[in-house]
Amino acid sequence: MKRAWSLVLAILLAASALAACSGGKNDGGGGGGSSDGGSDGGSGKRVKLTAIMTKHPLTKPFAEMEWLQAAEERAGVEIEWEEVTADWSQKKGALLSSGDIPDLIIGPNAITDADIAMFPGLFQDLRDLIESHGPNVKAMFEAKPETRALATQTDGSIYGLPKYQRFWPATATRQYINQQWLDNLGLKMPTTWDELFDVLVAFKEQDANGNGDPNDEIPMDFAPVGTGGFGHFQPTVLLGSTGITLTNASGQGYFMEDGVVKNFLVDERYKRVVQFLAKCYAAGLINSEVFTQDYTKFQSVARGDGNTAKVGFTWGWEVTDRFGNTLAPQYVSMAPLKETADSDVQVSWDYTYEALNYGVNMVVMSARSKNKEAAMRFINELYDPVVSMQVLFGSIGPNIKDNGDGTYEVLPPADPAMDPGTWKWTSTWADNGPMYIADDLVLTLGTDMQSVGAQTEPLMPALDAIDKENDVLPTMFIKYSPEDNSTLALNNTNLMNLAMAKFSQWVTSGGIEQEWDNYVKEVERTGLPQSLEIIQRYVDENKRNQ
Amino acid sequence: MGWILRKRTPGDVLFDAFIAAACIIVFLIVAYPLYFVVIASVSDSTMVATGKVWLWPKGFSLYGYNEIFDDTRIWRGYRNTILYTTLGTFVNLLFTLPAAYALSRREFRARRFLMFVFVVTMFFSGGLIPTYLLIKGLGMTNTMWVFIFPFCVNVYNLIIVRTFFETSLPRELYEAAAIDGCGHFRFFWSVALPLSKAVISVIGLYYAVAHWNDFFTALVYVRNNELQPLQIVLRDILLSNQVFQAGAGTGGEAGGYAQRYADQIKYGVIIVSTLPILLVYPFIQKYFEKGVMIGSVKG
Amino acid sequence: MAQATQTASGAVRTAAGPGRRRSAWQTLKRDRQLWIMILPAIVVILLFNYVPMYGIQLAFRDYDFTKGLTGGEWRGLYYFRQFIDSYMFADIMRNTVTISLATILLGFPAPIILALILNQVRWKRGKKMLQTVVYMPHFISIVVLVGLLNVLLSPNTGIVGYLLRSMGYEINLLASTSAFVPVYVLSDIWQHCGWNSIIYLAALSTVDPQLYDSAKIDGAGKWQTMRHIDLPAIAPTIIILFILSMGGVLTTGFEKIFLMQNTLNLPVSEVISTYVYKIGILSNQFSYSAAIGLFNTVINFFFLFVTNQIARRVSNISLW
Repeated sequence: MKRAWSLVLAILLAASALAACSGGKNDGGGGGGSSDGGSDGGSGKRVKLTAIMTKHPLTKPFAEMEWLQAAEERAGVEIEWEEVTADWSQKKGALLSSGDIPDLIIGPNAITDADIAMFPGLFQDLRDLIESHGPNVKAMFEAKPETRALATQTDGSIYGLPKYQRFWPATATRQYINQQWLDNLGLKMPTTWDELFDVLVAFKEQDANGNGDPNDEIPMDFAPVGTGGFGHFQPTVLLGSTGITLTNASGQGYFMEDGVVKNFLVDERYKRVVQFLAKCYAAGLINSEVFTQDYTKFQSVARGDGNTAKVGFTWGWEVTDRFGNTLAPQYVSMAPLKETADSDVQVSWDYTYEALNYGVNMVVMSARSKNKEAAMRFINELYDPVVSMQVLFGSIGPNIKDNGDGTYEVLPPADPAMDPGTWKWTSTWADNGPMYIADDLVLTLGTDMQSVGAQTEPLMPALDAIDKENDVLPTMFIKYSPEDNSTLALNNTNLMNLAMAKFSQWVTSGGIEQEWDNYVKEVERTGLPQSLEIIQRYVDENKRNQ
Repeated sequence: MGWILRKRTPGDVLFDAFIAAACIIVFLIVAYPLYFVVIASVSDSTMVATGKVWLWPKGFSLYGYNEIFDDTRIWRGYRNTILYTTLGTFVNLLFTLPAAYALSRREFRARRFLMFVFVVTMFFSGGLIPTYLLIKGLGMTNTMWVFIFPFCVNVYNLIIVRTFFETSLPRELYEAAAIDGCGHFRFFWSVALPLSKAVISVIGLYYAVAHWNDFFTALVYVRNNELQPLQIVLRDILLSNQVFQAGAGTGGEAGGYAQRYADQIKYGVIIVSTLPILLVYPFIQKYFEKGVMIGSVKG
Repeated sequence: MAQATQTASGAVRTAAGPGRRRSAWQTLKRDRQLWIMILPAIVVILLFNYVPMYGIQLAFRDYDFTKGLTGGEWRGLYYFRQFIDSYMFADIMRNTVTISLATILLGFPAPIILALILNQVRWKRGKKMLQTVVYMPHFISIVVLVGLLNVLLSPNTGIVGYLLRSMGYEINLLASTSAFVPVYVLSDIWQHCGWNSIIYLAALSTVDPQLYDSAKIDGAGKWQTMRHIDLPAIAPTIIILFILSMGGVLTTGFEKIFLMQNTLNLPVSEVISTYVYKIGILSNQFSYSAAIGLFNTVINFFFLFVTNQIARRVSNISLW
């Protein structure tokens, strides 16, 4: 009996002793872990830094990136990386509120302006450091003054540095139609909503893809519409036909017109777009699963069946990405449609240039870092245009060819089965890194980027006609106060809940005519007038400061 | 189990037929989607998404598995997870079983109060921030102990074990033992535990699976790559799929090639991550056999 | 069964009776061994669950990083009022309760029935295999489960969609507001029924085989045996688990609902947890989400408490 007793007791004691000593031991280790700095620069010994980067899940381990190793060496630092690919927002909460942050946090808006406002004193104001140790950052600010504007908080301080990646097109969404189907059926390229409707009806009723089955064609398809708002590759681009310029897809409906902030969700022109879509849906012209399919399926369906295309008219980023290599040649990129043949409205399109070519808060520094100069030296390295180019496309050698005369060329993927986009994201930080691709850098792009450029051509007249001063909402340049940000977040959550549900309901089952007036009243109740007033205030202020 | 062999009434025959039919239906409903996961993990994602994969894999390729096992972190993840699961489950049981026993004793004066104190924690919590500060203060962040000790008593499991002890340990047993001068320690060790193999294996399984599936602890408390468990690694791989969904918002430039195979990886990840823990189950099944308890008392 | 409990509580009374006259020290001394056994659990619970509870006050305060968790301005019930007055309050409460009640109502009995059925299977290998198969879906991660639902339920290309169409139902299960709750609940049962039945199977294994033999001798059929021997054997477990599940009346899984949401089912699929996520991701709403969380908790705890009291009266089985 005694034996059994003492056994249980012994195990319990051992367990608690284990807990106690492990706690003690690690107390010391944990405390010293992040700060064993060593001497700063000069002596030849590299300064140890810690950093978190929110990278793309495809991206390979940082230890395998030649350019990064070289950059760290040149900056005289040795960085212990924590590579985060998922659930950053959950992790961030604990990290920031405990003040337990590494020397550097890198990643696209990994630390937001709201975080900076919410956690005063946690991040380093970089102004003096840029002055003393950041010549490349200074060069970017001088050559591209808008980057300085993106970085500067309302009180003039600079916590997060932006990126400039120069080569991306002015819009994310391109419009595609199956030219082969048009040819098969002897139709001409539609230019108005009505012509598009007739073309889609023909696609549906006849055997457009010529496989003998007249019923397997999906005349129109668009990307899954999220519950949190609209996105790219969605029919909201048809608002362009009515003269509305979307800014970065205007997910929550906000756009600007003649300097006035508006929301298309309560605009008569939006009503007309929804009516048109409802008409198409009722006629069976839109994929019946358009509101329930996920992105994978959306992409898969368009890849068709071998050589047989399934989708007639849709939106996407790039033709081979959208339809696969086999079917891509059947499709052409088309110009924005006019609403009616006699419409004299200047057509517009989704304007995404800023969102695709700039990014805010790509890198921030801890105010508690013991080696701020060293950290700044490393940041400065990243903003050297030749390094930046490698941040974006990969190391010179495997990913980029150095022509030896100061010009460079992006190489095709080493694995021929891989497309250039995937290759880029696998090889390097790509769009998630801080960078400054100076306008005078001579770099020949890969095939994917070249074809994106070519497919944007039909949209260019509409994009060029946009009055960037008064018709593009400067979303990226606005820094809301925490209170306003919070008000907007609450109002917009309400608004999206109402509006997104109504949108899909109207498209699939109609009823917008009867419900519209009540809906507009209901939208007011979600706080939209207040939100518009807040955004307008910041837009005006932003304009005054320019 | 001689009773099975006796003569059966017509009602019993009907009953057996009903049971058999129910089993077959349940089996088909549950097994088909599982089978689908397996064939989808070796089929072309495009074919899967467009409904061409029903009974056999189409566009067979092992790309998903290659991609998963090419990730060198997988093996370290496996090792860590197995360590955390075995050690963690051991500690869980060590803390939970004696406590459940104590709470099951009706003569234990404090039991109702303590039970209430425990149940409250199932509902009220201080939130992530103070918990993080506490665990950091204890020096457990970035160590393997954060997987073992914090929250090592799960109140839900505690309640289940307690209920078992209360209902399946015949009351007279302890009274008889007490007369022989047997204390609680001895009774717990040499009577209660052997009689409760079924519930111990269930709770052990509950704890083990919780450790196995846990990624949140690692996400929040661990930075060191060497300590990352399997689930974090697999979640990274898995979420690469969802990123493409978000890709609609970022201009879809993440590339069609990876996206095409992402679904395959998604299904492969499930198989890779669950196979080892699935294999545990048959080993504990034997403790659910009827009559195990009585047998062990007599033996 | 009822008799057994009666004698048990009778014994408690006799055991506790003289104790009342003893000093606290003496009871402590008598229960010394039990205290030692429960001490490690108490320490762990106090340390990891009670110490951080000061964080609850965040629901009543503004979050101020520079002053710490407990230093922000006291706002009282401001954030609770903000939630109750919010535009979405009625909708998300209704949706949350609908989904969780449906889950309890249908999801709770399912594993019990499954366990009772499995317990009747006499072909040992078949039983083991079936048991293992039904246990497996539990391990499918939610991302994959929702992916599976999308593929299998697709009206044009999925097998369930195909079966429904061949039976003459033209319905997109993923799109309709009336199908959302059934799909959610049934897929939940599909996934967790086998796993949840394990505990009942374990309880059934403790039934003394002699009971079956004597039932047989008394001429009881299988159905009667199941009702009068098997069911009472697992009754305490059923009651305890039911009390616990009533404590989740305002709790719905976040990830699954979030991933299953689309704009068509949004009117019935927006629940408290998805709402908190959506407001939180756009801005740091620490206090507001803490208040919503606490609101949830209090209601959940209330339901648990009431169910527990009822169970105590009716069956003498309770959590505390």
